[in-house]
Amino acid sequence: MTDTTAATQRDALLLRVVRKLANSRELTLFILVLVLAGVMAAVYPNNFPTASNMRAVLLNLAPVGILVCGMMLLMIAGTFDLSCGSTLALAGVWAGVVASPNWLGYGPYAGMLAGLVVGGIAGLINGLIVTRIGINALIATLGTLTIFRGLTYVTAGTGVTPISDEFAAFGRVADPLLRIQSLFWVMLVIALGGGWLIARTRFFRQYYFIGGNPRAAQLSGIRVDRLILIGFVIMGVLAGLSGALYAARLNSAVVNAGVGIELKVITATVLGGASLKGGEGTIFGGIMGVLFIALVENAMIINSVGVFWQGIVVGLVLLFAVSLDRFKTPGRG
Amino acid sequence: MAARLEVQGLSKRFPGVIALEDVSISVERGEIRALLGENGAGKSTLGKIVAGIHAPSSGTVLIDGEEVRLQDERAAGALGIGIVHQEGSLVPQLSVAENIFAGRQPVGRFGQVLVDQMRAEAARLIGQLGVAIDPARRVAELSAAQAQIVEIAKALSHDLKLLILDEPTAALTLNETDRLFDVVRKLAQSGVSIIYVSHRLAEIFALCDRVSVLKDGRLAGTRDVAATSTDELIRLMVGRDVHLHRQADGRVPGRVVLEARQVAAGVMVRDASVTVRAGEIVCIAGLIGSGRSEFCETIFGARKRSGGTIAIDGNAYRPGGTWDAKAAGVGMVPEDRKTSGLFLGMDIVNNIAATVLDKVSDGAKFSQAKAEALAQNFVVEMRISTPSVRQVVGNLSGGNQQKVLLAKWLAMEPKLLIVDEPTRGVDVGARAEIYRLLRALAAKGVALLVVSSDLPEVLALADRIIVMAEGRTVGTLNGGEATEESVLRLATKFTASVAASRATVGADA
Ligand SMILES: Nc1ncnc2c1ncn2[C@@H]1O[C@H](COP(=O)(O)OP(=O)(O)OP(=O)(O)O)[C@@H](O)[C@H]1O
Ligand SMILES: [Mg+2]
Repeated sequence: MTDTTAATQRDALLLRVVRKLANSRELTLFILVLVLAGVMAAVYPNNFPTASNMRAVLLNLAPVGILVCGMMLLMIAGTFDLSCGSTLALAGVWAGVVASPNWLGYGPYAGMLAGLVVGGIAGLINGLIVTRIGINALIATLGTLTIFRGLTYVTAGTGVTPISDEFAAFGRVADPLLRIQSLFWVMLVIALGGGWLIARTRFFRQYYFIGGNPRAAQLSGIRVDRLILIGFVIMGVLAGLSGALYAARLNSAVVNAGVGIELKVITATVLGGASLKGGEGTIFGGIMGVLFIALVENAMIINSVGVFWQGIVVGLVLLFAVSLDRFKTPGRG
Repeated sequence: MAARLEVQGLSKRFPGVIALEDVSISVERGEIRALLGENGAGKSTLGKIVAGIHAPSSGTVLIDGEEVRLQDERAAGALGIGIVHQEGSLVPQLSVAENIFAGRQPVGRFGQVLVDQMRAEAARLIGQLGVAIDPARRVAELSAAQAQIVEIAKALSHDLKLLILDEPTAALTLNETDRLFDVVRKLAQSGVSIIYVSHRLAEIFALCDRVSVLKDGRLAGTRDVAATSTDELIRLMVGRDVHLHRQADGRVPGRVVLEARQVAAGVMVRDASVTVRAGEIVCIAGLIGSGRSEFCETIFGARKRSGGTIAIDGNAYRPGGTWDAKAAGVGMVPEDRKTSGLFLGMDIVNNIAATVLDKVSDGAKFSQAKAEALAQNFVVEMRISTPSVRQVVGNLSGGNQQKVLLAKWLAMEPKLLIVDEPTRGVDVGARAEIYRLLRALAAKGVALLVVSSDLPEVLALADRIIVMAEGRTVGTLNGGEATEESVLRLATKFTASVAASRATVGADA
C-alpha cells in the first residue's frame, strides 16, 4: 500500500519547496531573516551592518525575546498570557521600590529578587484563575492585564527614578568583546536553555500533549492543571526578570513599561510556529519571530519609512506565514 | 434507467498511501449496499469521495448517469448526497437543532434565524428515527448514542438521493440500532440509495441487499447478501479464516487486584461493586447510560468518588487524579478515541509515549530513539498498518487508531487495565487480534476490566460478567454459562423495575 516515489514524483518542484517551507516555520523565518539582513546590508552598507546598529537591534529585542520563551511554552499547551506586559512593569517597579535608597532601600540583590518574586506571584495568580476557577485564559489574563497595570500605578504613581547605581549595574554590564549589555545575554541563555529543555526533556514534552488534546492528556495520567499553573509561573518569572533588568538598564522603573508588548510577543510566537490550538512550536521558532520583527522595525527606521508602516508590514508577514499552513502536508502536527 | 450511483476506476492516493485503486461500483435506486473491508481498506475514503470531501486522484463519479465533480460536502448535499461520518462532525457547544441545520438554518425576511421553526423541524427529523431528543439541548450534554442519532438526523435533513452511513451503529444499543434500521429501510423504500459501512457482519445480513468488499484499496468482490455467508465475506475481506469464539485457555485467576465496594460518584454511579483478580477478565455489561463508563472513570481517578471503598492489591486506594492511578498500576483505555484517547495531530511515536514518558527517557531527557523503538515494537506486534511510526494518528483508519490507543496503555504494563469498548470500529481480523492480545495480557497475570456494548464480545471474552443498570451493579454471571438473553434479561429487568418504582413514588407524592 505504500508507494512514496510515485506520489512525490507527481508533486511539482515548486509545490515541494512550498511544502517544505510550510512544514518548517523555523526554516522559513530563518531564510526570511537572512534575506532581509542581506538586502539591508547591501542597500545600506553604512547604516545597517554597523556594530552600533546591531547592538541596538539585539538589545531592543531582548525583553520581547525573554517573554517569547514563556509565551511559547504556554501556547504549546494551548493557552497564553496577555498580562505579561503589565507583569513586566509591576515587577520592574517593585524591583525599584525594594532596591532604591529613596524607597525601601534593601539594596540591589533584594531588588532583583523582588522583581522575580513579584513576577512569579503574578504568574501564579493567572495560573490559579485559569486552572482552579476555570476562567478561560483570554478573559482571565485580560483582567489581570489591567489589574497588574493598576497595581503598578498604585505602587509608584510616577515610577522609581533613579533607582541606584548598584542596581543599574545589573542592566549595564556588557561583555568586553561585543559590548552588548546583560539583557541580551540573559535572553540568549534563556532561549538556548529553554529551547533545549522544551525540545528535549520529558517534563516539558508534557506541554505538547496538553496542547494536542487536553482531555486525552488528562486521561494519560498527565497532571494538566498543575503543569499549566507551572507554565504561568514560568511566564511570570520571565516577565519579572525582563522587567527588573529593563528597569536596571534605564536605572529607572517606569510605570508604562511594556505597554502593548504582549501583542508583539504573541505575534512573534505565532510567526515562529505556535498555533492558537496548541501542541506545536519551538523556542527557536519564537526567537526567529522576534528577530524578524526586530529587523523589519530596524529596516523601517533606517529607510525612514514612517513608523506607521511597521505595523502594516509585520501584520502582512504574519498573515503570509500563517497562510503557508494551507500547504502543509495534510494532517501534519 | 441509469444507476443511482456509479463510480468508475476510482483511485485515491495520500502521501505514502494508496487508499483506493481502480474501484468501480454501481448502486441502484433504493438499494442498500454494504461496504465491507478491513481497517484501512478504503471504505471511508470511498464514502468521502462520493460525498465531495476528498477529490479522487483519478476516476469518475456519476449520479443518475451524470458525471459530477463535487467541490465540497455542501455541493454534494445540494445534489442530495448525505454522509454520516465515522468520526463524528458535531459541534459540542451548539444546540442539537443548530448542528442539524449547520450553515443552512431557515431564515426570515431580515436574515434572522427562525429558531422555533428550526427546532420544530429538527424535532421532526429526530422523531423520524423514533427517538425524542430536545432540539434545544447542547450536543455536549448528549450521550454518545444520542449524538449519533443527531448525526444521522443531520444527514437526513437533505432532500435525499444517496445516504452514506459510515459505521453509524458503533455507539448504539441494540434498540437504537433496530430503530435506525427501520428508518434506513423506509428511506430505501422511498427510493433513497444507501451505502452502509459496518464491521458487524450480522447487521449486514439483517439490513443490506448487496455487499461490496474492499481489500487493500481494491474491490475484492460484490455479492448478493442472500447468496453469501459470513465465512465467504471474511475470506474476501481478510484472506483467511477468523475465529472470534470463546476460548478456554485454562487461565487460573490469582490474587485479588481490584476490590471496589459500593462505589458512588455523582448521579451516574450509585452503588457499584466489582472484584477483579490477576489473570481474570471481568466484563461489565449493561445498557448505554447505565453508568458503566462512569464507574470505570471513578476507578481510574478521572472522576471524583463520593462513596464506597476501592483497594488495589489489598491497599486502600484514593486516587487524586489519573496520575495516581497510573502510579498504582492502573490504566484505562477510554471509550471515545477521538476526544479522550488520542492526540490526533501527533504521530504514533508520541501517542504511545504519552503514557510512558518515564520509560522512553534517559533521566530527564526524552529519548526519541527509545520512543521510536517502543512504537515500532507495537506496530509490528499489533499489526498496525501504517507507512511509518511517524505517521500522524489522525491519518490512520479508524481501526488502526484503535490499535494505537490500546498500544498506548499496553506500553504502561499495568496491573489492572480497564478497557472501555475495546473494539469499537475494528474489523473482524483486528478484533480477533485484540481478543488475542487481551487474553495474552490476562495470561501474563494482568487483571482486566472490560466494558462492552457488544454482547457477543462480552460472551467471547469474559470469565465473569457484571451487569450494571441505573448506576448499580445488579448481578454477576459466569462467563462460560451466560447467554445473550440472560445478560439482557438482567440488564433490562432491573431498569424496568426501577422505572416502575419511580412511577409509584411519583404517584405517592
Ligand atoms: N487524510 C489522509 N492522509 C493520509 N492517509 C490517509 C488519509 N485518510 C486516509 N488515509 C489512509 O488511507 C487508507 C484508507 O483509509 P480509510 O479511512 O478509507 O479506511 P477504512 O476502510 O475506512 O478503515 P476503518 O474500517 O478502520 O475505518 C488508510 O491506510 C489510511 O491510513
Ligand atoms: Mg473508516
